[in-house]
Amino acid sequence: MLNRSISPSLKAIENIDFVAPEKHVINSYVDLYHMKNVPNETARLDLYFDAGKCRGSHGIPAFVNGLLLSGTDEKSSMEIQEIINGLGGFFESGTSVENSVITVYCLRENLHQIFETLMDAIENLAFHDHEVKEFLSDRKQRHNINMEKVSFLAQREFQLKLFASDHDYASVTELEDFDTVKREELIEFHRKHYLNGLSKVVLVADVEKDVISNIISRCLPLALRSPLMHITDLKNTSGHFINEKSGAIQTAIRVGRILFNKKHEDYLDFLILQTILGDYFGSRLMSNIREDKGYTYGIGTALSEFKETGYFLVATEVRKDVRDATLKEIKKEFELLQNELCPSEEIELVKNYMLGQLLKSADGPYAMTDLFLSAQLQDKGLDFYNDAITSIHAITPERIRDLARQYLNWEEMTIVAAG
Amino acid sequence: MLKFDRFELENGLTVLFHKDTTTPMVVVNTLYDVGARDESNDKTGFAHLFEHLMFGGSINIPDFDTPLQRAGGENNAFTSNDITNYYDVLPIQNIETALWLESDRMLSLAFTDKSLEVQRSVVIEEFKQRYLNQPYGDVWLELRDLIYKEHPYRWATIGKEISHIENATMEDVKAFFAKYYIPSNAILCIAGNMDLADVKQLVEKWYGDIPSEAKPERNIPKEPKQTEFREKTIVRNVPTNAFYYAFNMVNRQHPDYFTIDTLSDALGRDKSSRLYVSLKKEQNLASNINAYITGSLDEGVLVISGKLNDNITFQEFDAALWKELKKIQDAPLSSKELSRIKNKIRTSKEFQDQGILNRAMHLCSYELLGDAGLINKESELYQKITNLDIQRAAQTTLQRTNCSLLKVKAANNAE
Repeated sequence: MLNRSISPSLKAIENIDFVAPEKHVINSYVDLYHMKNVPNETARLDLYFDAGKCRGSHGIPAFVNGLLLSGTDEKSSMEIQEIINGLGGFFESGTSVENSVITVYCLRENLHQIFETLMDAIENLAFHDHEVKEFLSDRKQRHNINMEKVSFLAQREFQLKLFASDHDYASVTELEDFDTVKREELIEFHRKHYLNGLSKVVLVADVEKDVISNIISRCLPLALRSPLMHITDLKNTSGHFINEKSGAIQTAIRVGRILFNKKHEDYLDFLILQTILGDYFGSRLMSNIREDKGYTYGIGTALSEFKETGYFLVATEVRKDVRDATLKEIKKEFELLQNELCPSEEIELVKNYMLGQLLKSADGPYAMTDLFLSAQLQDKGLDFYNDAITSIHAITPERIRDLARQYLNWEEMTIVAAG
Repeated sequence: MLKFDRFELENGLTVLFHKDTTTPMVVVNTLYDVGARDESNDKTGFAHLFEHLMFGGSINIPDFDTPLQRAGGENNAFTSNDITNYYDVLPIQNIETALWLESDRMLSLAFTDKSLEVQRSVVIEEFKQRYLNQPYGDVWLELRDLIYKEHPYRWATIGKEISHIENATMEDVKAFFAKYYIPSNAILCIAGNMDLADVKQLVEKWYGDIPSEAKPERNIPKEPKQTEFREKTIVRNVPTNAFYYAFNMVNRQHPDYFTIDTLSDALGRDKSSRLYVSLKKEQNLASNINAYITGSLDEGVLVISGKLNDNITFQEFDAALWKELKKIQDAPLSSKELSRIKNKIRTSKEFQDQGILNRAMHLCSYELLGDAGLINKESELYQKITNLDIQRAAQTTLQRTNCSLLKVKAANNAE
């Protein structure tokens, strides 16, 4: 008879095969990474530009990014779309604080033609007046809709206070930016950060060398001609920032601080600490605030990383009347980690969970490429993940407590609520 | 060609196995043939609330998530109007942990009052976060009620109203479990680098002793044929006017299903589609516009939705839209248009099939339709569609008397 109250025995994850994409040099500062082991017809191409939000203000980086396919002197935006869509391609683009990334998904047989179309669209972008006007009007509408969302309001305020020490990082788009931006400013940003700002190319597809050499030679004129530099020090403004929004029935909460990225010696162990606190379903915050009190649908923590620094945050949306109660509980969970040693059972669980997730993150060419990029972005190689395995195995309750004491002090947090 | 094996246990559980030798992970996916369409109209939102309770401990195991996480795995679930689907992804050497957990909650839940009480609150916060506290968040609650008069698709999976969730009792929970969470009402798919014999042995070991029950019968009222155009306007605190045109369409088993899906692509899948080019780019009437189908098992809808430009009235837009819809009924798509649409379908399919979790979920969905092997015929069915098929589908579907229109009017936007 099967005894269902006893769990099956577990086998530990011994090792993980991390496969690096092949590196091809475009120039001294810019490389192409090629993941060739794709067992099907799919292809993904990413173009990274040094055109993130920190490189401009008044929404200009996001505007230029959104206008990349808006037409050249030869081709209208509709003609460009028709070529890419006609070849079954999917185009995505977006800006983060430090980067702008353009991605196409397609079948490898269509890669060459889609790539050529994309390069032409970027190189010869004309910023036609009617396209710019239409785009800004659409984005203004979207901005107004976003401003109705408590999560957007909280994130916006959080960013302002978190990056308060640096004007470029703290800038957010204001309503008037949609009306006051000048075409010349867009053209200048494009020239500086796209025509001369390509910082990395990534290709996931089973294609031959000649495809790679063509991409390299086409990309060379756009490539950065100096090393990519980003800010090393940021400082958040600590304290409480509460924005009431009439009619809201939930409150969005963000708690966080500037911390570090993969380059810091405490990073890997802190990653374990923040997993325990809030980065998996059984985390302390989820167990307390969702599964015990039912205040929220979800709560989580994350380490968000830049090239030279990073930040830690807690994010949730809770019932409006329990805003202060939730903040109190988050604070209590920070303090528990500072004052009491984490039970070994919990540490064992989190270790296994993290190793399982790392195994999953290395599974398949797309996941593996993204895992590689996450380290490469901070000048780290795949050794970083072998170090991660070592750290996970070596973690102690004392180390977790010490890190909580060092980095999770409530007085140092930026605490934002909107709703 | 996606290969799989199928076998059935004596208690009626259908099992699919898909071998993938390239991954160190394994997927255990369980589809239960129950969704919001199986609820009664005074107890809506129940299938979804129940999904939450499935994580609150089973008869022999106090908590679902902890052991799975300890095995290096993660899991989640979703409820639709048609089905409830649970999946676990974990390192393959620990597959038995997932089978142990999944089989135990199929055997019986713990049914604790605490779990019911907390999950009621969690689901109510989910209701607020996703439907009530978002601009346009309640649109589908309103739209379903406009489209359906009899069929239970007239409420969303989250439920009609919060009070239905507040009033759910332990008795309801137990009855729901007894009726739907039984082997004959489930499809299990295991995907990973294993051998069929091992899969059979493990599934038999963990699921073999779950008592067999007859699959529940389904008696869903059929939606009467719509004969008149329906229209409803709601005023909300949103910055922009929005429109939702919903056209009744065939069910998932009907031969025209893929044709109408393709028609929706032609109208509004991407920035080259008809409505985007004409109504947005050429006429500047809308700031965005999309067309898609709901993809439900019973008769669903083709939806055209978007937001108006600030200086455009609903009437101006309406006239231009119907003119465009008439064009696609009057003349077939060009071969260039059709090949664009089919190329996009091919790309999406190729990407969808690359993840092992997707493959496992799709195999279960197709098995629910009658045969998991249909997964390998889908591409061919799409590629066989002609421009005349699409024209015919447009003529039957895109009629005013077959349409429900929901307008969301911005409270401060005087028209």
